[in-house]
Amino acid sequence: MHELSLVRSLLRQVERLRRQHGGIAVETIEVEIGPLSGVEPLLVREAFDALVVEESLAGAELVIHNVPLTARCLNCCADFELTEFDFCCTSCESRSIKITGGDEFRLLTVSLQSDLEAEETAKQISGKSAGART
Amino acid sequence: MTTTTSTRTIAVNQDIQAQKKRRAAELRTSFAERGTFVVNLVSSPGAGKTSLLEATAKYWQGRRSMAVLVGDLATERDAERLRPFVPVEQLTTGGACHLELSLVERGLERLPDEDYEFLFIENIGNLVCPASHDLAEHLRVVLMSTTEGDDKPGKYPKMFRTSGAVVVSKSDLLPHVPFSVDAALADARLIQPDLRAFTVCSLSGEGIGDWCDYLDDARQRMLTSPQQVIEHAEK
Repeated sequence: MHELSLVRSLLRQVERLRRQHGGIAVETIEVEIGPLSGVEPLLVREAFDALVVEESLAGAELVIHNVPLTARCLNCCADFELTEFDFCCTSCESRSIKITGGDEFRLLTVSLQSDLEAEETAKQISGKSAGART
Repeated sequence: MTTTTSTRTIAVNQDIQAQKKRRAAELRTSFAERGTFVVNLVSSPGAGKTSLLEATAKYWQGRRSMAVLVGDLATERDAERLRPFVPVEQLTTGGACHLELSLVERGLERLPDEDYEFLFIENIGNLVCPASHDLAEHLRVVLMSTTEGDDKPGKYPKMFRTSGAVVVSKSDLLPHVPFSVDAALADARLIQPDLRAFTVCSLSGEGIGDWCDYLDDARQRMLTSPQQVIEHAEK
């Protein structure tokens, strides 16, 4: 039920990145969701569809990568994939394991559309003002 | 005139809550430096979080300085129950199903600015969303009452995986309910083998001594090796 607030925070980060990099629009937002991330991919998508207009990122596409829950055994050092939330090493059956992936909701990449001519002009202006200072 | 556009991809590759987690980590360190041990108390609604805090405050009777931040969707009822014993601030979320760091920070501004030995954050009754939000605590404690199913841990793996201790409350009802403490703890330890466990009755005070001794020890560990406790809280 907290997907709305997390997606809102995601969209604000994306909008900040767009402005920082001078993009004119956001094309694609790639995220990663694991089984222990605490968010449900379907609800993330619904929240995204509802909020994307409000946060003035209309047209942006959300790509969700569902990743497995992975861990490293602290006993035998094996790296393995957990199924069914069975927090147990698949090699030595130790329960002393460290989660190495799949417990987060991560922002992977943002694809921005930029206006080449505007960028060129901006470069020239900043180049001139830099020259004026010296 | 036609505009020429190009697409470029910016790699971010970080947790959506990375910034909040960093803020939580800073706050956790500053609490440790002030000697304040922070406990985030989570459970289903009605498991007895407020009662456990009342019993804890009564047991210590002013021998420990403690303060409470209590979250609810509406009303000041929980804060009013605790106010006779300890400094308390109610955090009403209006609708959010979990507490977030910014609400905690706002609550801290309203609490008298003292170096408390313990700060308890009573989260919203919910075993799902609060599991994903770091409130700068040193210890997350999950409460289960004997009137709930003893198969609960397996159904809420994230909450039990991210907790350091489990408290089984309402032990006085054990003779009347089908709840097995052993089954509940065995289920919880499949998810988190290092969970410390306590069985209490907040009304009679049974088990509260052990719980309070454990909190004292945990705070002592934070004072002697803060880095270890901080790393453990962040793992």
